Amino acid sequence: MAVDLSVNCLGLEFQNPVLVASGTFGYGDQYEDIMPIRELGALVTKTITPRMRPGNPPPRVVETDSGMLNTIGLANVGQDEFLREKLPWLVTHRGAARVIVNVAGFAEEEFAEVAAAVGSAPGVDALEVNLGCPNVKAGYIHFGADPQSVRRIVSLVRSQVELPIVAKLSPNVTDIAALAEAAVAAGADAVSLINTLPGMKIDINRRRPVLSQGFGGLSGPAVRPVGVACVYKVYRRLAEAGMSAPIVGIGGIGCGSDALEYILAGASLVQVGTASFVRPRAAAETIEGIAEICDRQGVTAVTELVGAAHRS
Amino acid sequence: MNPAFTRVTVTGIRQAAGDTHVLTFRDECAAAAIQPGQFCMLSPAPGASCIYLPRPFSYFRALDDGRVEILFRALGRGTRWMAGLRPGDSVAVFGPLGRPFQLEAGAARAVLVAGGVGLPPLALLAERLLRLERPPRIDLLYGETRGERVVELGGVLPPAVRLWTASEDGSTGFRGRVTELLTQKVWPTLDTPPAVYTCGPRAMLAALADILGDGREVHSFQASLEENMACGHGICMGCAVELATDAPQPYYKLCCKDGPVFNGFEVKWR
Ligand SMILES: Cc1cc2nc3c(=O)[nH]c(=O)nc-3n(C[C@H](O)[C@H](O)[C@H](O)COP(=O)(O)OP(=O)(O)OC[C@H]3O[C@@H](n4cnc5c(N)ncnc54)[C@H](O)[C@@H]3O)c2cc1C
Ligand SMILES: Cc1cc2nc3c(=O)[nH]c(=O)nc-3n(C[C@H](O)[C@H](O)[C@H](O)COP(=O)(O)O)c2cc1C
Ligand code: FES
Repeated sequence: MAVDLSVNCLGLEFQNPVLVASGTFGYGDQYEDIMPIRELGALVTKTITPRMRPGNPPPRVVETDSGMLNTIGLANVGQDEFLREKLPWLVTHRGAARVIVNVAGFAEEEFAEVAAAVGSAPGVDALEVNLGCPNVKAGYIHFGADPQSVRRIVSLVRSQVELPIVAKLSPNVTDIAALAEAAVAAGADAVSLINTLPGMKIDINRRRPVLSQGFGGLSGPAVRPVGVACVYKVYRRLAEAGMSAPIVGIGGIGCGSDALEYILAGASLVQVGTASFVRPRAAAETIEGIAEICDRQGVTAVTELVGAAHRS
Repeated sequence: MNPAFTRVTVTGIRQAAGDTHVLTFRDECAAAAIQPGQFCMLSPAPGASCIYLPRPFSYFRALDDGRVEILFRALGRGTRWMAGLRPGDSVAVFGPLGRPFQLEAGAARAVLVAGGVGLPPLALLAERLLRLERPPRIDLLYGETRGERVVELGGVLPPAVRLWTASEDGSTGFRGRVTELLTQKVWPTLDTPPAVYTCGPRAMLAALADILGDGREVHSFQASLEENMACGHGICMGCAVELATDAPQPYYKLCCKDGPVFNGFEVKWR
């Protein structure tokens, strides 16, 4: 019997639980011949900010053991060009896939500005709010660092849009579950975790960090255990607090078994990130892999498995 | 041709000099479509994962029987993995990628300046330039730090290409840098402004840009650049190359998608 991969959450129907992560699939067009977006549960766009950002100087990426570091610096085309040049393509090519636009700002007003602009555009199904970017005013502490700031940003975005909001959380905090609670209390419909972890690689010949900014964000299989633990912890905490909000699991996912770890930990949806750089069809392979494993285990609907690791 | 992600089988690997090797695999579609300056991303087949991200390599030769050659230097763990490949091994290839050199059909002379493993795209370019209806006279300048690294190009370069070799230790060819070879030996032989094509370490490209920017007349100046890459086709935004502008904000292009070949006069070299 065919496994039912569809997931209903955020008031939306997803044809399968596999999304592609912000910053790892561009705006969808580049992969079209290899991994068309219509096969996905949803595409999450690269972060959009109100104004175009050139990004950081090179080197911006470097490989590490089982992963990579990046300091792209949120390079993006800005909200106006996104709406004019990128979104129309996405909307006409998406088929049954959902479109989630990831947004951020470097001041609270910027979050409101970009959310309002993007949130009212036709074809956008939900917003993912990137809380991992630096707050310029507070001296480069990121917005996701404390529950108060998460609450303020999420409420502000909530007041601008009617669309479902997903709050994307950074793992570089003492208690990610407290942030998730704050986000949901402030009106987020779901939380996605994790964003990258801070890391550094040093060139031993030149005796200095490889990346132009010294630090970079770690992603890839190396972060999967961290992501799975975060999802597990947040799922439990939200349940204890009597809050029901779906969790989107991210970090080092590249195949069906990776995705299932997250789903069993409590994720309703998952995102494939860096793996797409290594294998452009990684997201498709993840969808097929989930179906295959469910089939082998006699599972008829993938949603039966959400949070199952807490029950057995 | 749109880039394709495929698994291919290694058909051969040979040492070309010192730590430099030539890897051969069969990739019919790519072989027929490759243009000089384009590159591919190579990675191990799943399971053999000593490296995580794919590595970019220029195409060195595209043979008529559908085989493709990559010339590479074993520097770090990715290229050492490649040096250990054997016929029959499987690798993943993603390509052809990037914007190639433009074959300047109007130039009567072409000067190709290669530094180290900047050689492969220029070897392919030389061959393609000769296929033009009115091919230019081609001088290929090839420099290495040490003579033992110099790759033997007999059988690879068409005889019509004039090859000049330099080594900094003086053990092979001209003693000194390839840029000195250009200014001292080759430039005086030019009778018309050449189309200049180059690929090599950034410091060499920057030195060449200084030389050409210093009042020398050229038909054009195309440089193939390197940046660390993750995706190889314009998605991760990892491979920024800064172009020279008067604007206060930096202006970046992507090495993998807008390049790797850039107008050498537009790059911000330092
Ligand atoms: C478009 C493009 C085409 C290229 N074509 C060729 C080619 O035809 N033949 C070839 O031998 N190399 C080529 N390179 C360089 C090649 O990609 C690197 O040498 C390779 O990625 C190093 O991988 P590694 O794992 O061995 O080294 P790593 O373990 O990643 O690093 C080891 C050392 O290698 C050097 N290195 C790393 N990345 C690069 C880089 N991008 N460029 C130069 N040096 C680097 C550094 O000195 C570093 O310390 C090309 C690069 C680009 C961007
Ligand atoms: C090159 C690169 C760029 C990224 N850009 C963004 C971004 O713009 N916004 C964002 O919220 N996350 C961004 N991320 C983080 C990913 O969306 C994801 O949260 C993280 O990489 C962990 O997942 P992975 O291990 O599957 O890649 C980026 C990651 C990478 C590797
Ligand atoms: S390598 Fe990813 S954008 Fe160029």
